Amino acid sequence: MVSLSDTAPVAPRRPRRPAFRRFTISNMLIAILLLVCVIWLVVPFGMAVLWSLLDPSVRWEYPDVLPPALSFARWIEVWNTTSLPMALRNSYILAPTVAVTTLILASPTAYAFARHDFPGKGAAQVLTLLPLVIPGFVLAIFFSALIFSLGIYSRFLSILLAHSVLFLPYAIRLMTVAFSNVRLDLVDAARDLGASPWARFRVAYWPALAPGILASLIIVFIQSIEEFAVAFVVGAPNFTTIPSILYSYLGYNFVRPNAAVVSLVLVIPNVLLMLGLERLLKSANPAQTGVKG
Amino acid sequence: MTLRRTLTIAALLTPGLGLILVMVGSVFYIAVAQSFGYYNLSGESAFSLDHWRDVLGSKQFGRSLGYSAYIAIISALGSIAIAYPLAIWMRKPFRGSLVVGSLLKAPLFVPGLVAAFLFLNVIAYHGVLNQFLIWTGLTDAPIRFQNDRNGFGVIFLQLWKNMPLALLLLTGAVQGISDEVVDAARDLGAGPLARFRKVIAPLTVQAMQAALIIIFIGAAGDFAFQVTAGPTNVQSMAQYMVFLKTSFGRWNQAAVVGVSLMGLALVGALGLAGLARLTLRGLKW
Repeated sequence: MVSLSDTAPVAPRRPRRPAFRRFTISNMLIAILLLVCVIWLVVPFGMAVLWSLLDPSVRWEYPDVLPPALSFARWIEVWNTTSLPMALRNSYILAPTVAVTTLILASPTAYAFARHDFPGKGAAQVLTLLPLVIPGFVLAIFFSALIFSLGIYSRFLSILLAHSVLFLPYAIRLMTVAFSNVRLDLVDAARDLGASPWARFRVAYWPALAPGILASLIIVFIQSIEEFAVAFVVGAPNFTTIPSILYSYLGYNFVRPNAAVVSLVLVIPNVLLMLGLERLLKSANPAQTGVKG
Repeated sequence: MTLRRTLTIAALLTPGLGLILVMVGSVFYIAVAQSFGYYNLSGESAFSLDHWRDVLGSKQFGRSLGYSAYIAIISALGSIAIAYPLAIWMRKPFRGSLVVGSLLKAPLFVPGLVAAFLFLNVIAYHGVLNQFLIWTGLTDAPIRFQNDRNGFGVIFLQLWKNMPLALLLLTGAVQGISDEVVDAARDLGAGPLARFRKVIAPLTVQAMQAALIIIFIGAAGDFAFQVTAGPTNVQSMAQYMVFLKTSFGRWNQAAVVGVSLMGLALVGALGLAGLARLTLRGLKW
């Protein structure tokens, strides 16, 4: 009896290519691109770090490639002599408040988009994108006119309201995907087994909603921390945020080492949060999940 | 739909969509009303075309409008032109593609003001770029790159910040094209350029349009890049609007500029998106 393996044609073994042939155009492109990316990111950020660490007693000028002396004196000076601590406090109180408020406001609309079919749903979904298509400074300036005429004088409340509206599109989109990921058969099964409303929420809703909720909180938090137009037009000069301080160092009062310190204070926490967000989005994959209905 | 169901959906939509419509609608209404002399925060409110006449008649407005349109068009088209080849190259995962993709997307995470500061450091008179040029012997003395008259610095910053967004949208669209379609085109003798023109570009036109619209609107309304790195002899529309409002308290004239900026954003973004579709439809034939 002839076994199958005896009769099967043996594929000719491909000769191993020499090492230099394996160095393809693609590999070369990767090497070039990595080099460009390093120049693209490492050089600018490296210079920002060096400027922030430049000792105040020395000057960094041509032809010095590196600063003559490094210290944390600039960081201490900026912390002690500028309104950065207050701006940090304002930004880090405002942003979580905006994140939670936006989530609360977005969830009912997201639920309607994910779980209900109704006439004009497509148009309604497009209309939620309106805050993204109005230029930021137009919105900021005429929003300030609106709150002035409404008699709202609290800068915090004004910015909270403006940020919540500005970032609702992100939260609505993320929560729509999260609500559409809730499996109704699981909800029904839990109900048939006599689960209480809380138990049903815990086993059927929460696992699907959690990544969307966290992603929404993080993305709105980051957007609020970074937002400049509303914070500058509505908040300045009484309510300063980190971008407002950075703008003051980049504008009339250009102090490079101080601007470097504030830039790093603004960007480092956001990059760390973004990395966390990317993991969350990968686990939830809302970008590729179709919205039900 | 029953009345109860209609009311339920309306109640669900009110806190999110309702708030957006009320707020954005109010802002739009105030801008338009103020541009025609209504809704004045102080003094009498009455219909007037004077503000439009004053602003449209000023040379500064024409320069600002042209400059913002120029920056927005170059930024949108440039971002797409750089992102397309990269998206096609990264269509299939390869060794190192994850790292390359992450590095390319990194500027998305950097706030605009920080990006402007990083750029200013690199191009400063005694910055690393000038040091490199002198070291290589390409120039004998440092060159002044900051606030160049043509706005190249602003365009570079726009590309740095927006190209990753275009790449993100286009990569998703390009990866969505099945191998069978591309292989069929290849089997029929289509070269790389023909495959792009007749298969990839028409199938990814929606992502390209989305990228064009988002980048155009953002670049047309730019304030931060222009103020920090832009030319000093011309103002962007947003800068001009803020200048009118803060320097002289000319709310009505600022409103005219604001409404014009919204018009530019709408017409420009839709025009570019329409042009892209028309061009690709032409290529498809």
